[in-house]
Amino acid sequence: MSGDESVRRVLLVWCPDWPVVAASADHDVPEKSPVAVLGHNAVVACNGPARAAGVRRGMRRRDAQARCPELVLLTDSPDRDARVFEPVLAAVEELRPGVTPLRPGLLAVRAPGRFYGGEASAGAVIAERLVGHGVWDCRIGVADDLFTAEQAARLAAPQDSVVVPTGGSARFLRELPVGVLDDADVVSLLRRLGMHTLGDFAALPARDVLARLGAYGARVHRLARGDDATPLAARTPPLEWACEVAFEPPATSVETIGFSVRQIAERLVDHLAGHGLVCTQVRVDAVCDGRIASTRSWAHAHWFSAADLVDRMRWQLQGQLAGGHAGPGLSAPVERVEFVPETVEPVADHARGLWGGADDRVERVVARLQSMLGHEAVTRPVLQGGRAPTDRQALVPWGELPGGQRPVDQPWPGNLSSPAPARMFATPRPAEVVDAEGRHVWVDDLDVVSSVPTRFHLAVGQRRLAVAGRGEGGVHDRWQQVAAWAGPWAVEEVWWEGAIRQVFRFQFVGADGRAWLLSCAPDGWWVEAGYD
Amino acid sequence: MSVHPVSSPVLAGAALVYEPAGLVPVLPALRGLLPGLRRGQVVAIDGAAMVLLALLAGASAAGAWCAVVGVPDFGAQAAADLGVELDRVVLVPEPGGQWAEAVAALLGAVEVVLVRPPGRVPGAVARRLVAMARRHASALVVSGDWEGAHARVRVAASQWTGPSGGGSYLRGRRVRLEVNGKGAGGRPRSAWVWLPGPDGAIAPADLEVAGPVQLGVAG
Repeated sequence: MSGDESVRRVLLVWCPDWPVVAASADHDVPEKSPVAVLGHNAVVACNGPARAAGVRRGMRRRDAQARCPELVLLTDSPDRDARVFEPVLAAVEELRPGVTPLRPGLLAVRAPGRFYGGEASAGAVIAERLVGHGVWDCRIGVADDLFTAEQAARLAAPQDSVVVPTGGSARFLRELPVGVLDDADVVSLLRRLGMHTLGDFAALPARDVLARLGAYGARVHRLARGDDATPLAARTPPLEWACEVAFEPPATSVETIGFSVRQIAERLVDHLAGHGLVCTQVRVDAVCDGRIASTRSWAHAHWFSAADLVDRMRWQLQGQLAGGHAGPGLSAPVERVEFVPETVEPVADHARGLWGGADDRVERVVARLQSMLGHEAVTRPVLQGGRAPTDRQALVPWGELPGGQRPVDQPWPGNLSSPAPARMFATPRPAEVVDAEGRHVWVDDLDVVSSVPTRFHLAVGQRRLAVAGRGEGGVHDRWQQVAAWAGPWAVEEVWWEGAIRQVFRFQFVGADGRAWLLSCAPDGWWVEAGYD
Repeated sequence: MSVHPVSSPVLAGAALVYEPAGLVPVLPALRGLLPGLRRGQVVAIDGAAMVLLALLAGASAAGAWCAVVGVPDFGAQAAADLGVELDRVVLVPEPGGQWAEAVAALLGAVEVVLVRPPGRVPGAVARRLVAMARRHASALVVSGDWEGAHARVRVAASQWTGPSGGGSYLRGRRVRLEVNGKGAGGRPRSAWVWLPGPDGAIAPADLEVAGPVQLGVAG
């Protein structure tokens, strides 16, 4: 450790099962009794004794009670979690200013370097202070970045700390199982790809990771590779990007404020996105009675969405202005709430897919589908030049750059000026066309139709017709009258092995009002597309 | 069954139509029939691929991502002509037996999923997919029948203009669309619509402007 100013070390304090700790504090639950916090009838969090009895997160109330009959059940309340966490923040703040909570139960602070005799002893000092405040289970991680520090804290024993040395993030992360990523889709995909540690994951090419796993995956990947000298090109945004909501008359309930703040939060996130940025640290200020009554910086392990911002605002007001009691009321009416982005990071190479503009969630689901159905099974339709309508489009496997397509804007002989068909058959289906006497219709050497087509029969889309015509019976069930037709248009078509053959295109409208594109080739009639 | 031609105010106000939060927008010409694709609900379309593409077009033009499952004959040019942004379309042409899984996954990622199920959809599968749509506030558009669909769109009649006795070519089509369902307030609505018109656009088409050719009625 050189004491180099360019390295910002992060000390992270994690209080496990925080919802349980907060709920127990509120309800005077005896120590060591198994407790679970329920939200929507499922376990949101539980403590050690409950886990020992087999209770797990996500379990339904009934199942949890069956596993552990003496289980104490408490209702989930994020606002309470925030309120109870507030004294913890204050306690750490007394030791070290600049505390940034991530969410209730998780806070980060710049590691104090040698001030307390090194990072590990600084951790011990903080743990001691928290225990003094009645928080028995707190674990501390110190590392170069938030993600690694959080992983380190998760490995620490209660009241103990794990320090990852400067520059040691990559080596530390490589040992961890992929399950530490907090994205179930990414984890499940990596496992199915046979990757069990972040080290396996680090071996993947960066380009594929970004394409398949999105920005979060790419970020963890970069950390695990350790090949990024400046992992966070973080910067402080100009002050004018801050945005605020004023309340007239001043608002007295967190609900009202939360409701009004949502829009401005969305605008802030959009505004940053417009500059290719995301916000990873934000300061929330609330003004009561002409002065800032509540201010706090919040950090985020990935980046803040609009909903995240609203949550942080709620938690903060609940913790600092609710006057220490539960309920939506505030001790002082709030005149103004302000979001000040403190740290923003470029997201340009994240949010934009390699082929432009692909959305993160879409990429992730597509990756999952491709692992389920095969790479070629998920496609992007693209247009290209060509004579036949069916040549004029191509389905490119998702994630591949379209290549080898013909230019769209060139004039192509034989191109129809009709509306484009809504259905394109990749391989033409056989068809038959006859005249009034039942003779097959064909086109002669002079490009003239042998006789007037009156009935046709297709090997597509006939299900409904067959059913409708059942009453009439007979062999003509699947044939239908030609209500109108147009053609022929002669086209030279490149057939297989480069041979050129002459085909004639027709448009047929059936008695049911559906229209088709047929071609009369030397080997018979084919349906190429439907104007259905 | 009476025909209600789409009245001109619908067209005139098209640009000003306010999108309620629960709706994925549809093309202005269709709003008289279907105000939008309701999130978390199912619209079933009988037949006509063009109607499916038209429904995608409205959502896509509004910036939504769309997915198309089980439609190997997806007409990309027609879709693009109607206003579908192909860059924001995920197409799973032949998902085989895993179509329902594919739809379920995509409902979590895009705003509109269009699916042509391979056969009758078992009630349990249908309910699971609707639950997914509801959870992710995405809309499901089904080609074919769907038990419990919130709205059903049917092509009641279809007339092409253009071809006659070998001459000319297909220029435009007028269809009478009929919408039934819980969402439509119980009463079926119907209207004539150019799908597409001779200029390639989807527009209301009332009967007086009948085309020069034949009239066919689907069963």
